[in-house]
This record gives sequence, structure tokens and C-alpha cells, in this order.
Amino acid sequence: MFETSSESPAPVRVVTEAIKEYVDRLGPIWVEGEISELNERSGMMAFIRLRDPSVDMSLSVMCHKSVIAAIQPLPANARVVMYAKPSWYTKNGSLTLSAREIRQVGVGELLARLEALKTLLASEGLFDSDRKVSLPLLPKKIGLICGRNTDAEKDVVENAKRRWPSVEFEIREVTVQGAAAVSEVSDALRELEALEDVEVIIITRGGGSFEDLLPFSDESLVRLAASCKTPIVSAIGHEKDSPLLDLVADFRASTPTDAAKRVVPDIAEEIEMISKLQDRARRTLLGRLDLEATRIKNLRDRPVMKDPHVIITSRSEIIVALKDRAHRSFAAHVKLAKEELVQIKARVRALSPQATLDRGYSVVQLANGDIARDASKLKNGDVLRLRLAKGETNATVSPKHDAK
Amino acid sequence: MSEKKISYEAARDELAEVVQSLEDGSATLEESLKLWERGEELAKICQEWLDGAKKKLDSAKPGAK
Repeated sequence: MFETSSESPAPVRVVTEAIKEYVDRLGPIWVEGEISELNERSGMMAFIRLRDPSVDMSLSVMCHKSVIAAIQPLPANARVVMYAKPSWYTKNGSLTLSAREIRQVGVGELLARLEALKTLLASEGLFDSDRKVSLPLLPKKIGLICGRNTDAEKDVVENAKRRWPSVEFEIREVTVQGAAAVSEVSDALRELEALEDVEVIIITRGGGSFEDLLPFSDESLVRLAASCKTPIVSAIGHEKDSPLLDLVADFRASTPTDAAKRVVPDIAEEIEMISKLQDRARRTLLGRLDLEATRIKNLRDRPVMKDPHVIITSRSEIIVALKDRAHRSFAAHVKLAKEELVQIKARVRALSPQATLDRGYSVVQLANGDIARDASKLKNGDVLRLRLAKGETNATVSPKHDAK
Repeated sequence: MSEKKISYEAARDELAEVVQSLEDGSATLEESLKLWERGEELAKICQEWLDGAKKKLDSAKPGAK
């Protein structure tokens, strides 16, 4: 600025004029924000507080009443764009934007902006399905961001407790529309994200107008939600509403009740299912045991196991059979031999001297057993043995009878 | 020499083999008797396994906590 020192300070007027000169060099700009306050009481000028919808910052704006009249009637927290120039008021040393033109940002305009934001965020991959985290089955604690004393809050809590009586909530009641919504919801979200016990966060509010739901399409809030590690369930407005928060949430519920059902399992149902599974497992196993028992029984019933005597009897049967064979074979041999014998006997018989004896001859033997063939060798008184056809007898040699 | 820790499936399969061998009849008398003894032992082991398992299941019936 210019040189000053504690010995030669500049007076107020000089300082304020210098600042004015500095500020006057700033040209007009287009700025967008929400009109959080409008004061048209005195004179020809209107005084406006223009705030940023996303963060807790605002500017004072001044304009001719006709400028603001041009866009009346204005809804609460109307979103506007202004063509304004920063002005320094030396009277009290304040900086104000002096608005030359104010336009309302229409719904159509807002929608277009939303679409553009949606495209931008999509291109950054914030809506990608692989960013979605699955919800825990039995969360330690459920974070809930909702309006104060709303049906939405009641719906979530009651339905959750009905399914799982001992469910625990961390509830943050905040403003869910208007000026403070974005910052309050964001703060609550940051708080709950930081709590380790909170394993899922539900953000919910009831139905409302497009403007009412706008905070849930706010870029900074949506980006914050996308960056959260804790899974988020969004249940904003009605089925037809689709704030951008829905797209970055890990699950979009159609109603607060639906959110509760998603986040909390029906304990009774789960217990029943487990019981049924246990039953099935038991029955399957029993079936298998039956099968195996039958197998074992069949093996045990086989003759070799049940009546192992067969091990022996089958062998003794073999022995018996062999004995039989031996017997029969032997018997056959004997028979053969017997027949041979008969034949030989006949032949011997045929060769025997009995036939000759039968014809009347006799065998004469000397005392020493020799057969007498020569009568001249006989002496009187010799004893002779006579073998007749039948029997034997002795004879003594006596003088021969001459045949006269 | 009998391993009490043999698994059910191993015992059952060995039992089937024993029965098969006995029915073949190709073993000696002495071997056959030994086989039969082993078969009895294995059958006993299998039965114990099955009985034990059945008991566990019956005691785990829902309601009998």
C-alpha cells in the first residue's frame, strides 16, 4: 500500500480510502449463491445476505430495490446468480457486493446443473459399482442421519428394532433442507464415519420438493459420501426422487423402512433358516450312516464271514472228494486184479495134472519124494506113496505077479 | 497289531478286500483263518464308528441343546 510506521501511522480516512481505491479496481463478476436474508426495509436499497449452499460462508450484497423486485416473488433460500461488483464503503469500512442484476436460478437451470455435475462425477468413476461396499450382516452400530422428530427417523428405528431388538443406533438429527442442510449433514457424516463402531450409515429424509432435496445433490456432500469407507444407505424422498447422493451410496433404499430392512437381518428368520440347515445336515448325515451300516451288514452277512466254517468245510469237502476218488480208483484196481486172478486160476487149473489123475492115472512117489518111473529100480518092501485122483495112500512093493 | 485309529473308510475298504480274498478261496488254511479274524476285527471297528456317529447325531437333535 504505502509506507507507514508506528511513528508515522496513517489515519483512518487514508487507510479506508486506500482500500476503497484497491477494491474499486476489482471488476464486476457473476456470482451464485442462496439468498438467506433479504432486507428491504428502508430507502431505495435492498440488503441481501448471499450464502454458499455448501459451506458456512456468505457475503453481504446490496442492490437497488428494483433489481430484486424483478425476480420477486422469491422462495426461501432462493438460488440466484448476480452480476455484482465488490464495493468498499468508507463510512463504516465494509465490503459489499453491489449487484446490478440478479437472476433466479430456475429449476430447469438447476436440473441442467445437476446433470452436468452427475456427468462429471460419473466420469470420475464415483458411481462405479465396484466402489460399492456390501453391507455388514450384523452391524455393531447403525449410524442414522435424519431430520428432527421425523417419520423417517421413526420408520427406520422401529423397523430395525422389530427385526433385531438389540440393534444399536448412533443418531444425528440435523436440518435436512435449506441453508444449513449441507453443512449439518456433512458434519454428521464425518462424525459417524470416524466412529469405528458404526458399521453402516443411513442417510434419510422424507419427501419434498426439488429444492428441498437439493442439498442431497450438493457436490461437496456427494464427494464426501463417496469418500467414506463406511457403507452408506441413502433413503431420500420418494421412489421417484433421485438425488445424486443415491448414486454414490452403497445401497439405495426406496423408503426409510426399506433401509431398516436392508441393514438389519430378520433375526427370527435367520434363526429359523439356521435351524432348517441344521436339520438338513443331520438328515443327510443320518442317511449316509444308514447307507454305510447297510454296507457293513452286507459284508458281515457274507457266508465267509458269517459262517466261516465254510473255510474248513469247503476244504474238508475237497478232502472227502479226493478220498472218494482214491477209493473208487483203488476199487477199480482191485476189481481188475480180481478178474486177472480168476483168469490166471483158470489157466493154472488148465495146466494142472488133476485131469490126468482123473483119467485113472496115479503118481507114484518113492520114500524120498522122487517120482517112480522105473519099476526095475524098485525093491521088495519099498514103501511107495500113491497119489490117486482123489486122495493118497501108501503101498509096499511085493514080488510081481506074473501074468500066466 | 490292530490300529484302533484307522479311519472308517479304510476299515470298510479293507473288510471288503478280506471278504473278497476269503471268497476267492486261494489262501492257505492258515491264512484263511487269519483273514477271517482280521475281518471280524475290521467289522467291529466299522460298527463302533457308525454307532458313535449315530449317537452324536441323536444327541444333537434340535431342542436337545
